[in-house]
Amino acid sequence: MNASVYRTAVLIAGLLIGLTILPHFLKYHQQDFLIFLTINILVVVSYRLVTLTGEWSLIHAVMMGVGAYTSALLSKNFDISFWITLPLAGVAAGTMAALLSYPLFRMTQFYFLIGSFATGEAIRLCWIQFIKPFGGTGGISAIPSPELLDIDFLEPIPYFYLVLIIVTICVFLLYRIEKSRIGLTLHAVHWKGVLAESVGVNTWNYRALAFIVGSLFVGIAGALKVHYIGTVAPKQFDIGFMVFILIWVIVGGYRTFYGAMLGAVVLSVLDEFLREVNQLRPAIYGITLIFFILYLSGGLERLPQKIGSIFRMRKQGNT
Amino acid sequence: MDLFIQTIVNGIIQSGFYALASIGLVLVFGVMRVVNFAHGELVMVGAYTVWLVHAQHGAPYLFTVVLAIILVTGIGLVMERFLFRPMMNDPLGGLICSIGVLFILQVIATYVGGEGPSKQVPPPFEGTMVIMDSIRIPYQRLFSICVSAAALVTLWYFLTRSTLGWAVRAVSMDREAAALQGISTVRISMVAIGVGAAMAGLAGALMAPLTNINPHMGHNVIITAFIVTIVGGIGSLPGAVIAAVLYALFHTFVTTYFSGTIATISGLLIMVLVLIVRPTGIMGHRVSE
Amino acid sequence: MAILEVKKLTKRFGGLIAVNDVSFSVDEGEIHGLIGPNGAGKSTTFKVIAGFLAPSSGDIVFRNTSIKGRKPFRIAKDGVVRTFQETTLFQELSVFENVLIGVHKEAKTDVFSAVLGLDRKRQVRASMDANQVIEFIGLSERKDQLAVELPLGFQRVLAIAVALASKPSLLLMDEPFAGMNPEETRHMMELTRKVRESGVTIVLVEHNMKAVMGLCDRLTVLNFGTVLADGTPEQVQNNPDVIQAYLGGA
Repeated sequence: MNASVYRTAVLIAGLLIGLTILPHFLKYHQQDFLIFLTINILVVVSYRLVTLTGEWSLIHAVMMGVGAYTSALLSKNFDISFWITLPLAGVAAGTMAALLSYPLFRMTQFYFLIGSFATGEAIRLCWIQFIKPFGGTGGISAIPSPELLDIDFLEPIPYFYLVLIIVTICVFLLYRIEKSRIGLTLHAVHWKGVLAESVGVNTWNYRALAFIVGSLFVGIAGALKVHYIGTVAPKQFDIGFMVFILIWVIVGGYRTFYGAMLGAVVLSVLDEFLREVNQLRPAIYGITLIFFILYLSGGLERLPQKIGSIFRMRKQGNT
Repeated sequence: MDLFIQTIVNGIIQSGFYALASIGLVLVFGVMRVVNFAHGELVMVGAYTVWLVHAQHGAPYLFTVVLAIILVTGIGLVMERFLFRPMMNDPLGGLICSIGVLFILQVIATYVGGEGPSKQVPPPFEGTMVIMDSIRIPYQRLFSICVSAAALVTLWYFLTRSTLGWAVRAVSMDREAAALQGISTVRISMVAIGVGAAMAGLAGALMAPLTNINPHMGHNVIITAFIVTIVGGIGSLPGAVIAAVLYALFHTFVTTYFSGTIATISGLLIMVLVLIVRPTGIMGHRVSE
Repeated sequence: MAILEVKKLTKRFGGLIAVNDVSFSVDEGEIHGLIGPNGAGKSTTFKVIAGFLAPSSGDIVFRNTSIKGRKPFRIAKDGVVRTFQETTLFQELSVFENVLIGVHKEAKTDVFSAVLGLDRKRQVRASMDANQVIEFIGLSERKDQLAVELPLGFQRVLAIAVALASKPSLLLMDEPFAGMNPEETRHMMELTRKVRESGVTIVLVEHNMKAVMGLCDRLTVLNFGTVLADGTPEQVQNNPDVIQAYLGGA
């Protein structure tokens, strides 16, 4: 074990311990916020896997919805336990992604962006149109919460621990995938698809793989979310939410694994502070987004480097 | 039978809006290779202008239509200068900037109009034309389809008969080749977004008395514009107009006989189908990747 | 024994015929040159063989099996691997990582193995393979440099290393000498011979006549999309048609 691995391990352990005790110092609504934030981390990290191939899909939020609806319907209509519907939510989203990969990955770049948006919107409109079983615009409410021993998962703190454990596992798995041979190949597919193809990489397969696995994990995130709030509705997964995911990734940065997480955390916390100026929130998001694209295109993860280079320039100027 | 004919008439009237609202997206994409996600919000701003200045403050309707066009064109030009131009080599960056603008415009609209229910503008042209005792066309709609058609014909004339229009078409066909011929792509970009935004402003102003005005109305507009753009062929103006007419008829029929949501779902699916089978659309040429 | 046979290959682009009824064959273990003036159809032929373009008609037979119409990655798996004319590399990755990506057939893994670390042995072996290729090609000292930092000559060498890592039995080289100085050219020639000696058959498309004449066992000369001559460098050099169309003209 070299020093940097050791340092990272300590950092992660510290972070997890910190997160474990954190909710006890928070107010009720802040505990809620922490749960959603943790779920959103899984959303951005799974989205990162999809973007590793260089394709910016606009269907990720809807895939989250596929998981959410699956879990909600199964647990409410068929009385299936949360512990079974949770993985099934992932399977459903993954399967949907697998089916959609045939039409979607015949497109690239701009066409893929628009195609994924259109497909997602069509799915979302189906939830609105087909009141049976999806419940229309109002969606489905009174989704049962998980049951385990005598733990009351309606309370935020126990549910937070549940979310923390599941999200940590999922993020760890996604990290393993990215650092494996698969991650390297995805990088190759992104940057020089033709070269990858010429050494035997089936680029179509890898794009689909990233999409399916990313969707699977975001499906789980969707289920985690709706079993806490108790309702699922089409509005939760609209293009507005998709744009938030995009913003998190762009503001955080997409070169490193932690960049997207950083973006989600920083912006969500900022968002919490903006509660007072509720009306203005989207505009502040919009301005932040434009600012980052124009002036800090590497995202927050590049910030230390940028500051460093400014310092160096100063020093050189002085000597 | 009457319903059938009435639906055709309604569809044709609708097609004017669709074409006007889509043409800007087509122009901007054709010339600048940027997807302007805020395009629907430009239409929304046009509608809000009419609501605020005409309905709230009593200015003459036609005056506010002109005002809407000027205001929205201005917004378009500002976007070009400060966002799309610096992002020229990064199409994704341009798109994301436009999402930022989308949020900002929505908030401004909420701020101006306040929250609460959608706004209505009483039609300045009252009354309904009745043909053969059964086909009804409100004068307001008649007015808007006439203006839309006139605007489109003017645009077509501009693009095919003027030097500037010719340059716009040249750039949208091949940016590099046009630049080599000495065409200033920056200037052409300004023309494209200016004209596109003007059309969007006009569409919004014409729509205002006929629809519910709210900060989120741009969402449906952009979906329609996407469908029309893709089906018509990216960067092809005649394609966009044909697609607008076809899609308007299709959408009106499905809405009349089934429901609006089903109409939009089918529209989206048709668009995805076009993307798969013929990404160039019915009239377009393939954009180099 | 022919490893590759190109049979009556034709490729049209709209009304333009880029390659017209071209046939030639490549024997196992040889270095075969595909030459001709600009626009003769060399690159098109090359792309069709590697699967990057679909032929309009004709057939491509590799080891007695038709590979016509297969996707590039399939053809690469079959053992026909190309290099690129322009320096196409994973610029932001190190030399080692570039070559490692080339070791795809052996290192390929699935999600479960990757997550659980079940493919560890395979990945270790892949790293060893990559190191071997790097040593073979003479890039050991630059192993950890980023591709983008390499001088042009070495980038070309790295491109060949990436291709070799995928263990081809037929290597298609697209203008490996373009833009090189005499020193770099000599180095590349030595390397090409070395690759052949390791048991890889080579087809190269090239402009540089000196390199081609000194290197190739056999040449196929294309002109206006058709085969003008076929034979050893001496035979080709003395062929009046070739002198007329190509060497004389230049």
